[in-house]
Amino acid sequence: MSQHAVSFAGVEKTYRRPRLLGASYHTAIKDLSFEIPAGEVTGLLGLNGAGKTTIMKLICGLLFPDAGRVKVFGHSPSGSEAKSKVGFLPELPYFPPQVRPSQALEYYGRLSGLSGAGLGAAVEAAMRKTGLEPHAGKRVSEFSKGMLQRLGLAQALLHSPDLLILDEPVSGLDPLAIHDIRQLLAAISAEGRTIFLSSHSISEVEKLAGRVLIMVRGRLERTVRRAEWEAAPGGLEAIFVEAVR
Amino acid sequence: MRKTLPVVWAVAANSFMENVRNRFFTLFAVFAFAAIYASVLAGVMAVDQEARVLSDFGLALMELTALAYALFNASSVLLREAETKTIYLVFSRPVPRWAYLAGKLAGSLLTSALMLAVMGLMHLLLLKLRGFGVPPAYAWALVGSLLKLGVITSFAYFVSLFSTSAVSTLVISGIFWTAGHFAAETRFLAEQSAGAKSLALKAAIWLIPNLQLFNARDAAGAAAALAPAAFLSAAAWTAGSYLGALWLISRKEF
Repeated sequence: MSQHAVSFAGVEKTYRRPRLLGASYHTAIKDLSFEIPAGEVTGLLGLNGAGKTTIMKLICGLLFPDAGRVKVFGHSPSGSEAKSKVGFLPELPYFPPQVRPSQALEYYGRLSGLSGAGLGAAVEAAMRKTGLEPHAGKRVSEFSKGMLQRLGLAQALLHSPDLLILDEPVSGLDPLAIHDIRQLLAAISAEGRTIFLSSHSISEVEKLAGRVLIMVRGRLERTVRRAEWEAAPGGLEAIFVEAVR
Repeated sequence: MRKTLPVVWAVAANSFMENVRNRFFTLFAVFAFAAIYASVLAGVMAVDQEARVLSDFGLALMELTALAYALFNASSVLLREAETKTIYLVFSRPVPRWAYLAGKLAGSLLTSALMLAVMGLMHLLLLKLRGFGVPPAYAWALVGSLLKLGVITSFAYFVSLFSTSAVSTLVISGIFWTAGHFAAETRFLAEQSAGAKSLALKAAIWLIPNLQLFNARDAAGAAAALAPAAFLSAAAWTAGSYLGALWLISRKEF
């Protein structure tokens, strides 16, 4: 396994929006270089429009960089070698309301190359891990926001990925759901998997991550280690505010 | 390839189930029943040609209903998957884009085939109630409609990947479908005209499929099987549109 789960080298991404006459351009990230060490929890903080979601989509191969190089476990993120090692939870994932959680998971399991008894076992394990087992008989339309987020996490965990990419995993959840998701992520991290999560909640990132990247207007402003923010007066919040101002 | 075929099938089966569960599918089914029943009234007014009118009118309504659903579905499905971020969960997995597109297309065609089969059953039941048997070339007419739906659905997928909205895809595909039924007339006009007009019409002949090839009951005697050219043309147009759509989706970012 590569020492780094993810590496960015001089990456640039510009969005082009077609207009009636010509187009407008917006640079989301510029000359971005960083590494995510394998087996660690790394947080990503930044204000709206700082480039957090762009980074996550580049890692998942949903966007292609305009310049620079992105590697996931040493492979191109567009290839199946990298994708088979990645589990992605987008912000507010959608599932068809008429299906039961196991049906949704079976579909995504098949897309991840699982089949037969292996698929059944993976669905069962993902539902158990995310606490969805008691709700197995319900339809997605009956799910609360917290349960939908658990289902989102379950689909990301199905194929036992080495790297979990989580975009705002606790966005809009109630305190109990946040607590449960945090416990779950801590347990996944204890299994030695790499977690890369973005959040607007500094306290959540502070509790989970061992290292935090702070993005400001598409550039990496600071990389902070746990020891640094634990020693700093005001903790991670003070470091973040200082960095983005 | 052996690893990817189950993925194609998974996408197709999921797409088919989602289509069937969609409330618009139920609405179309109710509308189809009402429309086919309306053909009974038209048949009664035709007096001694009741059987012919009842069968032709019913078949035409079935094709139009299936077309409306197929176009509605094909023009909105990729857009909807992108808007709901469902596509993120698919393309962040080792799913080749060609497999996803082939699965979606197969799911749409399976839905169209189911719609035609159910409507055909309703239609035959009504014919039986009026005391008529199965019209000549009936199965071929349904196969022809399905081939047409294959051509138009894959074209709508292709258009939906560069058009700005589902409505514009519907309009462009609708024009394509209508123009495809006037291929013979276009050819005649191209032969009659000269200069730039002739060139434009000759280009249109190559850019628009001849959908009249798929009308089995238009053939002399109204009992002919579809010609091999119809199958070849359907395969060529469907494959052409699929490849065009694949070229676009391979470059698309989400």
